[in-house]
Amino acid sequence: MVKVRIPTPLRTLTGGKSEVETPASDIQSLIESLNGRFPGLKDRVCDNKGEIRRFVNIYLNEEDIRFLKGKHTPLKDGDEVSIVPAIAGGTQ
Amino acid sequence: MLAGKDGRVTHHYKIANIVATEGTHLANFDEAKFAHLQTLSPEERADIAFVMDARDMSLALKDMRRQGLELQVIYHSHPHSPARPSLTDIKIATEFEATRVVLNLPEPLHLIISLEKKDAPATAVFRIVNGTVTPVSYQTL
Repeated sequence: MVKVRIPTPLRTLTGGKSEVETPASDIQSLIESLNGRFPGLKDRVCDNKGEIRRFVNIYLNEEDIRFLKGKHTPLKDGDEVSIVPAIAGGTQ
Repeated sequence: MLAGKDGRVTHHYKIANIVATEGTHLANFDEAKFAHLQTLSPEERADIAFVMDARDMSLALKDMRRQGLELQVIYHSHPHSPARPSLTDIKIATEFEATRVVLNLPEPLHLIISLEKKDAPATAVFRIVNGTVTPVSYQTL
């Protein structure tokens, strides 16, 4: 099982859960698995080509998957994945 | 983002603001804020909000680690309002607290540049922890 940390803005989709566990062999299957349990999550994280959106980082342990093998980054039991929205702010 | 060591900033990382180009599904904001942003043009969105390009952000953090630097300051401008954190700034900075612990990042300060008075830009630095904002003094060397 892989532990996934869910950021606050996406917890409306996970019923308020900040962490979930799911079986997955790589990041792509992890996203599909999460989307099966929490419909709409994939759409928030990936664009219509299935690529990770430009305002989302996915970290495997402490490394951005963009610098590993992207959505094909392999996962193993005990890995910790964090979905992290980019830093943001505003004037209002 | 600004990086350095021991409270001294020595490096500047310019990060693209993608809020104008990424019009849909901006996961950084709550649904009310998101719905509000969707009513605006890209230019209007960029005037009142920013979202860092996540890849730029990761590249900067990676370079900091490589050079033995620490993230010290996150900065952004307020084109039409004073140099103090907005409610959105406070909310998102507070949410970032949990993330930075996971990513093993130090607590950054927040620098806001007000362009409200075009001929006299103002800057101020704040610590934002658990929704509490504390002004921080700084020196330019």
